[in-house]
Order: sequence, then C-alpha cells, then structure tokens
Amino acid sequence: MFDTAPTHAPLVQMCDIHKNFGGVVAVDDVSVDLYPGEVVGVLGHNGAGKSCLMRMLSGAMSLSSGEILVNGEKADLKTPQDAKTFGIETIYQTLALADHLDAAANLFLGRELKTRFGNLDETRMHAEAKAALVQLNPNFKNLKDPVSRLSGGQRQVIAIARAIYFQAKVLIMDEPTAALGPSETAMVADLTLRLKKDGIGIFLISHDMHDVFDLCDRVMVMNKGRNVGTFKIEDVNKDDILSLIIKGTLPDDWTPRGETS
Amino acid sequence: MSDTELKAKLRFLPTGSALHKLSALITLLLLILAFSIMSSAFFSVNNGLTVLLQTSVIGLLAIGMTMVIITGGIDLSVGSVLALSGVVTGLLMKAGLPVMPAMALGVVTGGVCGFLNGLVITKMRITPFVATLGMMMIARGVALQLTGAAPISRLGETFGWLGNGALFRVVEMQANGFPKVIFPGIPYPAILLLIMALFGAYLLQRRQIGRHIFSVGSNEEAARLSGVNVDRTKIWAYTASGALAGLSGMVLMSRLVTVQPNEGVMYELDAIAASVIGGASLMGGVGSVSGSMIGAFIIGVLRNGLNMAGTSAFIQQVIIGVVVIGAVYLDQIRNRK
Ligand SMILES: Nc1ncnc2c1ncn2[C@@H]1O[C@H](COP(=O)(O)OP(=O)(O)OP(=O)(O)O)[C@@H](O)[C@H]1O
Ligand SMILES: [Mg+2]
Repeated sequence: MFDTAPTHAPLVQMCDIHKNFGGVVAVDDVSVDLYPGEVVGVLGHNGAGKSCLMRMLSGAMSLSSGEILVNGEKADLKTPQDAKTFGIETIYQTLALADHLDAAANLFLGRELKTRFGNLDETRMHAEAKAALVQLNPNFKNLKDPVSRLSGGQRQVIAIARAIYFQAKVLIMDEPTAALGPSETAMVADLTLRLKKDGIGIFLISHDMHDVFDLCDRVMVMNKGRNVGTFKIEDVNKDDILSLIIKGTLPDDWTPRGETS
Repeated sequence: MSDTELKAKLRFLPTGSALHKLSALITLLLLILAFSIMSSAFFSVNNGLTVLLQTSVIGLLAIGMTMVIITGGIDLSVGSVLALSGVVTGLLMKAGLPVMPAMALGVVTGGVCGFLNGLVITKMRITPFVATLGMMMIARGVALQLTGAAPISRLGETFGWLGNGALFRVVEMQANGFPKVIFPGIPYPAILLLIMALFGAYLLQRRQIGRHIFSVGSNEEAARLSGVNVDRTKIWAYTASGALAGLSGMVLMSRLVTVQPNEGVMYELDAIAASVIGGASLMGGVGSVSGSMIGAFIIGVLRNGLNMAGTSAFIQQVIIGVVVIGAVYLDQIRNRK
C-alpha cells in the first residue's frame, strides 16, 4: 500500500508524530511526507487530528513525541516564526486574523514593511496587500476596514493572500475554501495548481471530495488520530476514501485502482 | 433612501473611534463652558495652568495605561509604583546623588516594576489583574518600609524644578523689590506630558511595537500564529507603563518638593478612567493616546471645576464614577447598532 515516491528528496518528513492532551490522544504516531510540487490531501472525520498534525508543522503546537525533517534535516519548530523561516506558511482553519486591524495590517502582521527610519510603511503595505488580494478576488474592496467588518469569504481571502505572499516552500491549507463562493473556490483551485507547478509542496485539508480528486496527488487519511493509509490518488476512488474516513479500513475487495483499470 | 445611499451619505461622518473621540472632546468643551459660566475664576490663565499641572500626572499614567489596556490587560500598580519611584529618587538624593541621575534612576525603578509585572503575567501566566494588584501592594509596602512611612523633605530647590518650573515665564522686578509674574509660562509638566503623549501616539500608530500591541489585544492567538512575539510585546507595554508611572512620580514629588511614600493612592483608577473615557476598550484591541488625553482632561477639569464650585470631594467621586459608566455605556450603544 505504500506509494512510490517521486525522484527528488522529500521537502517535509513527519516521523512518528504523537500528540496528546493529558489522556486525550489527538495524533497517534503519524508519519507523512511531502515532496516539492506535490499536493497531499489530509483527510479524516471531524476531530480526526488533521488540524493538530498540521499545527505541529506550523510551529503552532508542540509535539509530544516524534520528529520533523525539512529538506532532510531535523527541524525544531518551536514557534510559528521558526516554521516561517523554513518557508512553511499556513492558512489556519480559524484564519488567525486580528479583528481590529485592516487587511494590510493582517497580511503583514509580524513581518511589517518599514521605511528607512524604521516606521511602518503603510503606503507600501497597502499597495502590496491590494495587489495580492485583487489577484484572488478582483472585487476586493474595504481594504481599510477592520477585518471584523468583512465577510467570511473576504477574511478567508486575506488568510490565503498572507500565506502565499511570502513565497512559501511548504503551504498548509486547512479547509481553505470553507467560506468561499464557487468562483473564489475555483480561483483557489487554480492558485493551488499554479503553486504546485512552481515546485511548492502543499498539504491540503479538505472535506470536499471534488477538490481532493481535482487537486491532490496523494491522500493521507486519518481516523481517530491514526494514519490509516496514504495512497496515490489514482489508486483510490471516492468510496475507498469514505470507507477509510468512516471505518478506518479499505473496502474488503480493494486493489490499487490505478493498476486494475 | 436605499441602504447604499445611506452609507454613502454617512461616510462623511466620523465613524468608530473617531466618533468616540469627537464626542469626548465635545463633552470636554461643554464642561469647560459650564464651569466658566458657574465661576468666573475658572476660565483664567492661572486656573488653566493649575488644571494642566494637575492633569499632567494622570495624563502620564494614562499613556502607559492605554498601551496596557490595548493589549487586553490592566495595570493596577501605577499609583504605588509612582510612590516607590519617588522614594528611590529621594533616598538617592539624600545619599548625595545629584537631581538628574537620581530622577533618572527613579524612572528606571518604575520601569523595573513594570518589567516584573510583565514577567509575572507572561512567564508565570498570572492574569494582569492579579499580577498588578500584587505589585500594587509590594511597591507600596517597599516605599513605606524604606522611609518608615515618613516624608523625605529638604531635598533642595533643584528638586522642585521639574514640577514647578515653566517655559517662557516672564517675571518683572517691581520698584518695591518684589517680583511680579507677568506671564506664568508653560509649566514643565505640561510640556513633558505633551512630548510623552506625542511619543506614545507615534509608537502606537507608526511603529511595529504599536502594531503588535494592537494585534495582541485584538486576537492573541492570531498574533502568535502570525509570528508576533506576544510575551515580548506584553512585557514591553507593562515596562512602558511602569516607567511612565516613575516619570509621573518625579513630576508629582517635584511639585511638592517632598517625597511622600503615601502619594498616588488610587491614581491607577483615574488613569484607567481616563483611558476608558477616551475610548479604550478593556477587552483589548481598541484605544488611543489622544483619546486618553481627552479623558484625562475631562477628569482634571471635572475635579477642578467641582472644587471651585465648592462640591465636596465625596460628591466628586460620585460624579466621576457616573461619567465613567456613562462613557462606556454610550460606547456600547454605539457599537451595538
Ligand atoms: N488545544 C486542545 N486541547 C485539548 N484537546 C484538543 C486541543 N486541540 C484539539 N484537541 C482535540 O484533538 C482532537 C483532534 O482535533 P483536530 O482539531 O486536529 O481535528 P480535525 O481533524 O482538524 O477536525 P475538523 O475536521 O473538525 O477540523 C479532537 O478530539 C480535539 O478535541
Ligand atoms: Mg481541523
């Protein structure tokens, strides 16, 4: 059942990752890897541990045990800054926006552009933010409104723009299209394929089977914190995946679909 | 009228915090007007200067308090830290240190107290209310212990320079040998307040640290995930608040030309009230130095005007309490719609 890996070295290797909150095991010895120019779908029921696993790669959550390698070297991701210096950017499920700040301030939060004198360069940040946001949504206005006044979709667009603006090498997208309309969703799909072509590795958490089959090269399914299987997308169909998500096992009669057809 | 038309019309009106500041400013002007009508002595250069002097202490405290409140915290220790800073300066001068270094070390003492507040809040994960309540007692206790609760006086004329001096003061010698003040000048405390307020506003609005202060108060988790060093930002805010408390201690003790270890009791409440009247939200993420300055002056004018009108100190407390609740209530009504 193991996939044949593409030829280059893996961008990210997560080895035997374990996370428990007291007695609650959220992630149970999960291993997964990611190659450049690849989209790996991370699937599973609600509470399966997908977000926890990804948050550990983002530096947002500490590991209970296990190891993360980036470009073959051990990476100690203690804080989100650590992850960002490795080129790991994240679109969080919760979006992680500061409600009282506007779009540009959020996009550059923690990495503000400054003038020669060390002051905030508002003009440049606004211009850059506008360019980045309009790329994703041509109708994006209200650039100077605090983001609490924006719609769910607009907020999501800001979170996406922030993750791609800083030229990620690894992109984690935790349900990036949950609040988006059809045209914005299509835009994000386009964007995903474009980034993939640029050699960026992407972890995509999604509950939408269409997205998964359209975008992913491989899928990894989690069930109650465990990795119950990693497959090339050609080797599974929708029913296989649903069976893994719900029961944690493949249908009894499964053989790799890619070979039979 | 359609919704969009209405919005287009309303765009010209100030919104949000600008509106709050405007209404606070109007309140301040109305207060000045009312007191001027009630008492002719109120609207005079001399009384204006008195208000300026009285407000400068609360104003300095309110600058730091505003930064702390924007991070979503509170600093209950500023009144005690003010006293402790004064005591340190007084003792150092008694030990032979000149005024300037002694005062500088007094401000540093305040900064150290604030820094400790920040450490306790971020590293020991004690809520700001409890941590600064503890510091309030500790700083007061140390100040009283060091002095045996007795004031330190005879600190020399130079000690009174900061609190009692003024810029552009014009004094004329009269024929009878007594000096006559033609123009009392702009008191140094007022100039200090202006400089610190401008500097504080600059830090909050134009510098990265200010942006981070707002982000931490707005959504701490989002700030952390975005790469903001949340602990460092909070420690910075509490240290600034402590140092400003030290500075206001210098102003206050210098004005009295005596160090009083029991000065500044309940000043933290005036500083909090000034911030809140000026539009800062105790939930964090909202506030401004300019608003807090207006708030400080509302309290200063109220106190002074009520004094001149012969209102008792007790009734003054009642009125200021009502004003604080009223200001927050109005703000909530505005936010609800
Ligand atoms: N900070 C926390 N403290 C305690 N338990 C947590 C914490 N975060 C997550 N958990 C638990 O860990 C488990 C996995 O949560 P996680 O958020 O990773 O699920 P998920 O797969 O992302 O689900 P969803 O599809 O709903 O987003 C859940 O049982 C959750 O209750
Ligand atoms: Mg999740």
